[in-house]
Amino acid sequence: MKRLLALSLWLWMAVVIWAAFHWAPLAAGFKGESSRILFFHVPVAWVSFVAFMTAGVESVLYLAGRRDPRHDRSAAAAVELGQVFAVLATVTGAIWARIMWGSYWNWDPRQSAIVVTMLYYAAYLALRQAIADGPSRARLSAAYAVLGLVVSPFLYFVLPRLGFSLHPEPVINAAGKLEVESRMLAVLTASSLGFTVLFYWLHALRRRLGAVAARRDEGVE
Amino acid sequence: MGGPEWVTAVNLIIWTGLVLWISRLDRKIRDLERER
Repeated sequence: MKRLLALSLWLWMAVVIWAAFHWAPLAAGFKGESSRILFFHVPVAWVSFVAFMTAGVESVLYLAGRRDPRHDRSAAAAVELGQVFAVLATVTGAIWARIMWGSYWNWDPRQSAIVVTMLYYAAYLALRQAIADGPSRARLSAAYAVLGLVVSPFLYFVLPRLGFSLHPEPVINAAGKLEVESRMLAVLTASSLGFTVLFYWLHALRRRLGAVAARRDEGVE
Repeated sequence: MGGPEWVTAVNLIIWTGLVLWISRLDRKIRDLERER
């Protein structure tokens, strides 16, 4: 079953890759073929947001429930992966910015917002490293990640819209309308779905690895 | 081979490698789980 899922995901994303470079049209106002990077940049940015939200939800479940360490490990795994996807979003965005704006880094509100987000969650990981493994570490880091449920949506969706930005209009623009060519939207949606499934696959692996490590530690103690 | 074809091929190779690597990781973790 798992092999079938892996094969389906491989095929799904292989079609997305082909469609991104051969089927989707080029976006108006973008230099050369640069708009094609958005089929990967937007989904990885989206997945980083999904990851941080997952960490927040798992932390709520930890604090509101029976303080199950599985929720704590799940939140930490989501933050780690969220950081990876945020780095990917930053790098792909910087490559695109170099083509469009002539410089990798422009302190655009969206670029600044993702850096602040990564710093916020780097502090979460630092917090976990600073406290010895146990309930107090889980409780404190869960409280921090719950705050992220407010901080992340603000940094991803509110802050970039507050002032002037070089960044192109988001998929859903300020007026709340979808202004993307239908084939581009199809590829963008399919890519986002594929990357989201990839994230949850990686997340499950990291959680399971964490559980194995925890059982091993219990055995040692 | 032109631009988009080359980039598509590189992307497909990276993606295939990534899926194979994650699948291998999945199997290794399953083995660890069975050890316990």
